[in-house]
Amino acid sequence: MNAIVLSGIWGVVMMFAGLFLKSSKQIQWTALLGIIALLVVSILDYQAHSVQAQTYFGMMTIDVYTSWFSILITACCAMYLLIFHKDIAAVGKNEAEYFALIFFVMCGVYLLASYSNLLILFLGIEILSIPQYILAGSDKENIKSNEASLKYFLMGAFSTGLLLMGMTLIYGATGSFDITSEKFVGQFEQLSSMSSLSFVGILLLLISFGFKVSAAPLHLWTPDVYDGSPTAFTPFMATIVKVSVFVAFIRLFHFSFGNVSDAWQIAIASMIVLTLIIGNVTAVYQQSLKRMMAYSSIAQAGFMLFSIFAVNSTLAYKGILLYSVVYSLASIGVFAVIIKMKDYTYDGFNGLAKKQPVLAFTATVCLLSLVGIPLTGGFFAKYFVLSAVVEQGKYIWIVVFAVLMAAISAYYYFRVIRSMYFKTGEAAMHTEPTTWDKTLLILNAMIILLLGVLPSLVFG
Amino acid sequence: MILLEAFSTPVNYFPILIQLVLAIGFVIVMMGATHLLGPKRKTTDKLENFECGIEQEGNARQPLAVKYFLVAILFVLFDVEVIFFYPYAINFRELGWNGFIAVVMFVAFFILGFTYIIKKGALNWED
Repeated sequence: MNAIVLSGIWGVVMMFAGLFLKSSKQIQWTALLGIIALLVVSILDYQAHSVQAQTYFGMMTIDVYTSWFSILITACCAMYLLIFHKDIAAVGKNEAEYFALIFFVMCGVYLLASYSNLLILFLGIEILSIPQYILAGSDKENIKSNEASLKYFLMGAFSTGLLLMGMTLIYGATGSFDITSEKFVGQFEQLSSMSSLSFVGILLLLISFGFKVSAAPLHLWTPDVYDGSPTAFTPFMATIVKVSVFVAFIRLFHFSFGNVSDAWQIAIASMIVLTLIIGNVTAVYQQSLKRMMAYSSIAQAGFMLFSIFAVNSTLAYKGILLYSVVYSLASIGVFAVIIKMKDYTYDGFNGLAKKQPVLAFTATVCLLSLVGIPLTGGFFAKYFVLSAVVEQGKYIWIVVFAVLMAAISAYYYFRVIRSMYFKTGEAAMHTEPTTWDKTLLILNAMIILLLGVLPSLVFG
Repeated sequence: MILLEAFSTPVNYFPILIQLVLAIGFVIVMMGATHLLGPKRKTTDKLENFECGIEQEGNARQPLAVKYFLVAILFVLFDVEVIFFYPYAINFRELGWNGFIAVVMFVAFFILGFTYIIKKGALNWED
């Protein structure tokens, strides 16, 4: 609860920091101070709620899982800000506002992790989305950035409409927005007694969530938006925002709609198959690494959807926690290298290993983790979500299909490693990495390797 | 309950349907009759859009400065703030000190926003 308040207030503080602090360094330090404070507060929240869950006004329930996820996501955001704070400030002249918007997004993230009322879910999704529309268009001179912002805004507004329609239908069927209330729980106890209104409502919610996590066939906005946005903001959208929507997704579909999973599992299953095949196969044909990472984030969303698919399994919760952290850190690590380069194509990375061995090494660890090679965190993340489906016993063939798709993904991730290590070239840099950058990147890679050995560290 | 059920069969709504048909029919007949029976004198002056009696020039769809949009959006924001005061004013006594604190907090946030836009120069008309 305190984290929600602090993130909102710190957003305002950042706005005023832009007015009163003259140097860019001071603004960046204020933002870093804010995210550290947020991390401390969320740890305190965790200690306060580890004994018993607390409900605020029937709107939010903060329990041990919620606050643990808040810590993890804040830590990922801290890592993001530590690595990217200079690049964020370099995007345009309103640097303090960019940090303010990031703090507002964090406020939405906490709301999404703790809602127990559909209204707060809606509010959280909106607080999460609207700053992103601005961040996507923050490079005003660049027409691609404008395109990204407008596309994201129009499509996002449309999917929010679907979300509202779904909530309306579910409200019509249950008479309550509170997902813990008797009326709400009773409606979704078994499939036979569920009204057709809530059936359509669940499907509309599913579509809207699928849009926000960029699952195919609702992924079409993703490549343009992630490619067009300033490179400093793309990792934020692709990681922290995306995984927090997943947590909201799993919260609603497991806790509330878990008993009527027959109604929506087939829809999720077809979404997974489409997402995996479109994400992975299209990523193979990309020339720009930034665009490839956009498609890769679609493909990774396909794997995260497995945790939604496997209802009532503890492995699924463990899987989504581990996947969130590992995928976030790995993507942040890859983008941290991309942003240092002048040329985003594969050829632009030729010979990077000779020129910047540290950058090439950390990028390799992150890419291996994205493929799911053992000894990196990505292996256990994929293992947990897939074994959750195996444990459930239904639709085993999707697991086989997913492993096949992971093999395809190895092609385009390894292509980057091949460019860096086995090709000769200039590897022209946009900015030279400082020692501080390298230390952070190594720390990031170390965490990924550590989670590959001890995945239980993120289970709390 | 029995009374309610007696009046909620579709047959009971039949008079309303008749009234609807009559109302729409009356409008159509009157509008059609005036068009058919009335005299027609078309001149260019008559067909032009009425613009306060002044002769119109040029196209209305010209690009205008983004400042107008900015001011319009800010107006909407602060307009909404005033709307929230009405329910508070009506329940002023019932809400007591808690309500007062909540409203003061609400106003404080808006004043923060107002200071922000002034300092940012959003209301400076001349560059």
